[in-house]
Amino acid sequence: MSPRRAASGGRIDRARTIRFTFDGRAYTGHAGDTLASALMANGATLFGRSFKYHRPRGVLTAGIDEPNALVTILSGDVREPNIPATTVEIYDGLSAASQNRFPSLGFDIGAVNQLGGKLLSAGFYYKTFMGPVVGPLKGTRFWMFCEHFIRRAAGLGSAGYAADDARYEKMNAFCDILVVGAGPAGLSAAKAAATAGHRLILADLDATLGGSAKWSGETIDGKDAAGWAEAAATELAALPNVRVLPRTTVWGYYDNNTLAALERVADHRLTPGKGEPRHRHWTIRADTVVLASGAFERTLVFPGNDRPGVMLASAAERYANEYGVLPGNNVAIFTNNDSAYCAAAALRQAGASIAAIIDVRPDISTAARDLAAQTGAELLLGHAVIKAEGGKQLTGIKVQRFDNSTGVLSGEPRSIEADCLAISGGWSPVVHLASQAGGKPEWDADRQAFMPPPATQNWIGAGAFTGAANTETAIAEGRKAGEKAAGAKASRARPVKVFAPALDPHPAPYREIRADGKAFVDLQHDVTAEDVRLAHREGFVSVEHLKRYTTLGMATDQGKTSNVPGLAIMADARGLSIPEAGTTRFRPPFAAVSLGALAGERYGDLRPDRLTPMHDWHVEQGARMLPAGLWFRPQIYGDPGETVEQAYVREAKAVRESVGMVDVSTLGKIAVQGPDAAQFLDRVYTNMFSTLAVGKARYGLMLREDGIAYDDGTTWRLGEQEFLMTTTTANAGKVMQQLEYYLDIVWPELKVHLTSVSDEWAGAAIAGPKARDVLAACVAGTKVDNEALPFMGIVHGQIDGVKVMICRLSFSGEMAFEVYCGAGFGTHVWEALMQAGKPFGIVPYGMEALGTLRIEKGHVTGAEIDGRTTARDLYLDWMLSKKKPFAGSAVMDRDGLLSPSRLKLVGVVSLDDQALAGGAHIVTGGSLEQPGEDIGHITAVCYSPALGKYIGLALVKGGKERIGRRAWSCDPVRKRFGPIQIVSHHFYDPEGSRMHG
Amino acid sequence: MVEPLSPLAPAWKPGSHGNFAAGVGVVLSETRPGSIVEAAAWHGEEKKLIAAIRKSTGLSLPDGAGAGTYSGGKGAFGIAPGRFLLIDQAEGLAARLREAVAADTGTVTDLSHGRTAIRVAGPKAEWVLSKLFAIDFALPAFPVGSGVSTVHHDIFAQIQRTGEDAFDLYVFRSFARSFWKMLGHSTEEVGYEVR
Repeated sequence: MSPRRAASGGRIDRARTIRFTFDGRAYTGHAGDTLASALMANGATLFGRSFKYHRPRGVLTAGIDEPNALVTILSGDVREPNIPATTVEIYDGLSAASQNRFPSLGFDIGAVNQLGGKLLSAGFYYKTFMGPVVGPLKGTRFWMFCEHFIRRAAGLGSAGYAADDARYEKMNAFCDILVVGAGPAGLSAAKAAATAGHRLILADLDATLGGSAKWSGETIDGKDAAGWAEAAATELAALPNVRVLPRTTVWGYYDNNTLAALERVADHRLTPGKGEPRHRHWTIRADTVVLASGAFERTLVFPGNDRPGVMLASAAERYANEYGVLPGNNVAIFTNNDSAYCAAAALRQAGASIAAIIDVRPDISTAARDLAAQTGAELLLGHAVIKAEGGKQLTGIKVQRFDNSTGVLSGEPRSIEADCLAISGGWSPVVHLASQAGGKPEWDADRQAFMPPPATQNWIGAGAFTGAANTETAIAEGRKAGEKAAGAKASRARPVKVFAPALDPHPAPYREIRADGKAFVDLQHDVTAEDVRLAHREGFVSVEHLKRYTTLGMATDQGKTSNVPGLAIMADARGLSIPEAGTTRFRPPFAAVSLGALAGERYGDLRPDRLTPMHDWHVEQGARMLPAGLWFRPQIYGDPGETVEQAYVREAKAVRESVGMVDVSTLGKIAVQGPDAAQFLDRVYTNMFSTLAVGKARYGLMLREDGIAYDDGTTWRLGEQEFLMTTTTANAGKVMQQLEYYLDIVWPELKVHLTSVSDEWAGAAIAGPKARDVLAACVAGTKVDNEALPFMGIVHGQIDGVKVMICRLSFSGEMAFEVYCGAGFGTHVWEALMQAGKPFGIVPYGMEALGTLRIEKGHVTGAEIDGRTTARDLYLDWMLSKKKPFAGSAVMDRDGLLSPSRLKLVGVVSLDDQALAGGAHIVTGGSLEQPGEDIGHITAVCYSPALGKYIGLALVKGGKERIGRRAWSCDPVRKRFGPIQIVSHHFYDPEGSRMHG
Repeated sequence: MVEPLSPLAPAWKPGSHGNFAAGVGVVLSETRPGSIVEAAAWHGEEKKLIAAIRKSTGLSLPDGAGAGTYSGGKGAFGIAPGRFLLIDQAEGLAARLREAVAADTGTVTDLSHGRTAIRVAGPKAEWVLSKLFAIDFALPAFPVGSGVSTVHHDIFAQIQRTGEDAFDLYVFRSFARSFWKMLGHSTEEVGYEVR
């Protein structure tokens, strides 16, 4: 038998033994244990080292509010740090490790920090690391220098370096009613609401439903509470309109009753099932929410209150009743309210002896007195614990007479031996979600707690969340809330009776016990009561500033057990009441959420991407595919042993000398239809489209409304009222949106419909002096000679049985055609063109060659239409119609856009036969280290096979005025500085004889 | 006769996949309709367009946002105000509609190649689709025949419910393979069959 496991009792499955390791040592536990309960059953008292002082720490709570017992869960090389051991369900093969200790949990070098207590007080880092006023470490640089060492010494667990290979999933849910929390109130609400047939979701963060009913030992409706909860859970799970989500923490309450929840689907198994995610993130849109999130017990603040063995009374009760684990054999109780008396009775019944019950109140209820009598313990009313003693385990406590109304200690201190001290500072309703929903929690002086704010969204509260005095009230409130949420009439069924002691729900006013020694408020961040007072002495008044200065409540537990104690001490220091000192509001998340669940699976193979109809053909031909936005496009079709440059030079040469073909299916294509289509295009393009004849295409330029160049492309007139607009690949979506905006908002009177047909058409651009010969060899149903298909003409025909649309236009500067067909036929037509091109030595070419050909020709792309340049900057003035206004025309010639110092388009040639680099600066002289005047930058570069030189396009001050001048390319990032000549951007065939010929 | 190529081809793996030990939760298939057409009415001309659609397809479109109808491989549903997506297993619907829809009623755009039609059917169809779309797929909220225009990350999708536990999804062809992979991945948990 384990040292601390009670001989019987608890709701664990004693027939099932679970094996796990902690810090490399093998342990066993039972099914139903948490890591904390299993380790405690094995006699462990020490669970971690504290944040700053490396003080030994045990387990304080039995749930999500745990500040101390944080562990790292190991799964192969993947580490997940800072998980409360109180929330980890054990399973065969679980491996966990303690944190913030070196070399071991038992012997920790950092524990020397305990001696330097005064040094590490509130604001220590701010004060110490301000840095000198002058010198290399002035100001924050000093902090940056020291930070590395400080971070090593302080802190929690460390994340690993191995990539997390677990699956995470997102889920959307819609429901009529969401019930948060499946304790007595939540179960009762769900039962009442579900009978009306509404769609209902019931979420609880524990593995099994029931909340406090699992360990309260009360009798509900004639059954033991746990049995009642189990029956209710079974009943609900069987209903078709109810979805029960155990292991699910509702962590955020957002606008429009949208809530966020994290379901830990497979954390309780060594390996998830096939296809099963580890975590599933739920976005729940609920018409009505029932908040039955319960309450957290608070600590009491007294010296040594962080010693291992000091534990919340409710937690001690839960360990005894739910897990059959005794947190001590000889337990003392210290409380300011009645609830801890139940814990005392439960611990006694489970086999512990109760050393004493210390209560700050001078008098208590009869029910509490009766419970105390059952335990046989000495009852010390009007007393307080002034010290908890011991190192890695509690050895005893010192108590003294205490007046809670004044805080004055009197009389002789007295020692009591105990190996566990169960404490209760009263209860704080878990108002986090209600606060996130909007609204300020309200202080209730009787309960010494912040109660939920009035509902600003559609939620109804029930149970301990609203301050229900006992389980019977909680169940009644739950039923009422469920009925209200369901829109049902109040049931006439008799109320559920709960057999439980009639305790007083009101605690004594919250007060710190001030005596010698460190008394902790926030255990996880090692914030003491003295730190709070120091902050006050240093002038901090606002609770929010106090929080930031002392870091109170800012650890991973977000101060679930410590917010009210911290406020009480601040209020006391300022001579105010707690609500006058301030209210803490909450923001999401309620509890830690795995980053994987937030990120989802939108990476790697599951990242959305777009493939052209000919994608598989390119890959089969050995093309190196390049991501271009979401698209993948061939970069080069490299021969074995070829460099990228060799490949694209070969491909570009083939186009200039014979014929090549490139996949242009990625171009944005928008069907523009309607009686006003031509007029619409006149308004959005800088040049005229209403004059375009059917069966012809025209190059168009669009400006933004502020006069800056936006996008370009050709638009084809397919019918009197039908155009096919093409856009650049990158801007396809943006242009579509902008055009829809014009039609919806600016010119709603225009009868024009836009439809994205980007994916309807596969496009192949075939270019080179032999391009027409290739088409002539395979196109049926139309001629393709100069007469039938002049420059910018469109014809319809067939290639190998497939309908095609061919437009003669050129991006490369060669005789070129774009062949469009239905996307499903793309590969078929492409292969037919390759076949027809074989006798002419056709080559497929990629993005590099495409870029090379357009640079040689001086055509602009997104690199030059970069959101800063105007049409005039790019020498596209000839496209600005003077006969009509168009989007952007009113402001395109404002002063700033006509300034002589604007960057304008030029060509550059490398004079030292070294490759140029996109993004390099252009300077007037100097050196890499001391460059001369910066006059612009390079936008695109290539080796030009036509010129036999490294060339590029650039934007420089003055533009054409600088043609013929010498300058230098300066690239400090890639360490290159070299001479260049500024030339016209029309490097190749400036007259256009090749493409018109 | 040349057959159009499916964009799913290399990712198309017929058979059972994932956790199907206890039966498959969904069947994934590509319906490959011969015609996918968008019809759009000028403002105020919606009823005329609906009448023209009825005349040329025999489908009676209920008026109202997202309303639609589906039977025997033919479907129609609203995708935006005055806009409808029409589906027919037979080819040539766009041409027939162009005949029926007058220029002052609206426009017709053939998208037969531009959209890929994927069917998700089976008892877990709602569960699987809920992973991908923030849409209420429950039958009362999303009746048979009706449709929605929505998005999964960057992937635009139009979805029509074609049966109590069947949904037909229309995604841009270029995204189809990527979407198909994500769909298979999301479906692994419940077991799926590709056919």
